[in-house]
Amino acid sequence: MSDSNELPLLKSARREAVGALLIWLLVTTYSVSYCCAYGYNRDPQTLTFILGFPDWIFWGIVVPWGASTVISAVFAFCFMKDEDLDS
Amino acid sequence: MLIAVAEIPSPGYSVLAALLIFIAASVWLGAMAQKAMEKQDFMQGFFLGNRGLGAWTLALTATVQSGGTFMGFPSLVYSFGWIVAVWIGSYMVVPLTGFAIVGKRLAQLSRQTNAVTVPDLLRERFGDSRVGLLASLMIMFFLSFTMFAQFKAGATIMKHAWPGSGIMALSEDYDAAPAKDGASKVDGTATKSFLKTWFPLDPKYYMGLAIFSITVVGYTLIGGFMASVWTDLFQSVMMVIGVMLLVCLAVPMAGGMEQASKAAITATSTDIAFGPGYSTAGREFLTPGLALSMFFVWVFAGFASPASMVRVMAAQNTEVMRKSIVLLSCYNCLIYIPLIMTCIAARSLLEPLGKQSDEVIPRMALLVTKDFPMQTGPFVSGLIMAAPFGAIMASVSCFVLVIASGLVEDIYAKFINRNATEAQLRRATTISMVAVGVIGVLANLNPPEYLQALVVLSGSAGAATFIAPVMMACYWRRATATGALAGMLGGFMVYFGIYSCGWAQNWATANSGLDLAKQILAILGPDPKIGASGLFRPYYILGVDPIIWGLLASVVGGVGVSLLSRPPSPELVKRFFEIRTSPKAVGNG
Repeated sequence: MSDSNELPLLKSARREAVGALLIWLLVTTYSVSYCCAYGYNRDPQTLTFILGFPDWIFWGIVVPWGASTVISAVFAFCFMKDEDLDS
Repeated sequence: MLIAVAEIPSPGYSVLAALLIFIAASVWLGAMAQKAMEKQDFMQGFFLGNRGLGAWTLALTATVQSGGTFMGFPSLVYSFGWIVAVWIGSYMVVPLTGFAIVGKRLAQLSRQTNAVTVPDLLRERFGDSRVGLLASLMIMFFLSFTMFAQFKAGATIMKHAWPGSGIMALSEDYDAAPAKDGASKVDGTATKSFLKTWFPLDPKYYMGLAIFSITVVGYTLIGGFMASVWTDLFQSVMMVIGVMLLVCLAVPMAGGMEQASKAAITATSTDIAFGPGYSTAGREFLTPGLALSMFFVWVFAGFASPASMVRVMAAQNTEVMRKSIVLLSCYNCLIYIPLIMTCIAARSLLEPLGKQSDEVIPRMALLVTKDFPMQTGPFVSGLIMAAPFGAIMASVSCFVLVIASGLVEDIYAKFINRNATEAQLRRATTISMVAVGVIGVLANLNPPEYLQALVVLSGSAGAATFIAPVMMACYWRRATATGALAGMLGGFMVYFGIYSCGWAQNWATANSGLDLAKQILAILGPDPKIGASGLFRPYYILGVDPIIWGLLASVVGGVGVSLLSRPPSPELVKRFFEIRTSPKAVGNG
């Protein structure tokens, strides 16, 4: 394999694919773990609400959803690189 | 106090008027698209919009939902409660994974190969026509199930839009009873018997099917890819307006979100606020294993769906993809969580809908707009209800186009008439699209009961089949054509094999008195009572969705067979992975 001759777009696309997969892995690990820990087999009397959402939905889904939107924007504007598709 | 169905105002002519506006707008967009693509190369223009998709068109059409998202998804929230937020949770990263994992590279490969379709791209990339042919046949197989179900959904909405026809459920068991009770034998005459046999449903359904099919095939035929994309964009914008309007009216009407949740608990049980979800049938809708599976299903089905890949191939440039990630992330935020809030509010406002849970959004639209001044309520609710219809039209349009492009580009132009002229390609395209439309109509004259379940199955099967070969095509020099074939077949066969075990288990559970059923249950075990109920539920190995095993098989098959087979030619690798040093070095693969 001759890395020096590799297409520039291929290098940046591979780097971005790895970055996106890592973010997916992080989000999946956090959301599924949090929701399973606090949303299943729980005493209903302990349920509280945050901004109208059940607490475990708020911290397990709503907050990471907002964070993912911000992270996606940062990823798209700061990490991803523009390349010539016809190269 | 819960509001009875009878107290919700009738939609009158408002839904029908809104649908007609949608149809007129779609035909107009088709005509505009035709003007936009005039004087361009036919195949590139008609099937790929001349690779000119901008950020808005790419973001709101590439990985966005079909009509089922706005009928089936709300029904799940209404039925099972807050746990459905976990079920759909992975959509928070779908925009990023949808474009950043293979988007850029696919768009580059499609330009390098001048590919118009995904099979076209795979054939050139692996330098083997068998890869293209298998991919084409599989795409047509998967998309056909999905497309036929959408025909049925479109016709059903048209039927329910007629005043006095109810609201517009997509329930699988509508109106079919008269056909099954032997009515044709009672009628006596041969003509009536013939009609009852071939047209057993309400005549309004057939009228809806005819109008829907002619409209969608018509405007797609006129405007091609761009017509499909522009109508998709149009419905996506209408959809977000409708959803925002609904949530802003529904939540205050329920006394706020916390009050809505508490009222929903009172109306059902505490299960509606926790996992695995509320159920009256003793099933666990989303166990932790299935919750984990859904974070694979949506993410991988999103970027590996053939319809999505084609749109990514049509992106104008990489800047457009970056902007699309941001636009789609914001769009998803404005759609899914508000839809969940609206459906939880519905639990606290409406009397139980039972089997008509598909009607939750139409009923809420009518309820929240009933006090609008100057009789504008019915029209606004009509527009909200027409949005899913627009989504269905856009989906069918896209599927008709992808299937027709497969028939024309991957089969006709590659195997039947290699030297086809533009006129011949145009004629083949028209014939293919009309044929697809006619088959769609014929398949829905007496639609199978469980078509909606087959849609889910074929979507996930598509992901299990294509992810590994597409990833290998994009990033792995050592990937071979035999490996790609093994990856496709491995994912497909394992996925369908596991599903088949589920069908056998369901059959055996329903016929547990038979010896064969007892033997099957002795091998497969009893129904674990997890996931949604239904004849087409899969077999859950270790409690996870079959897509995970299908993906694993596809990766192992693709990588393993590639390593065992002869490496690809250096010319092929150089063409797709290395900088061109001289124009003469570029071959045709």
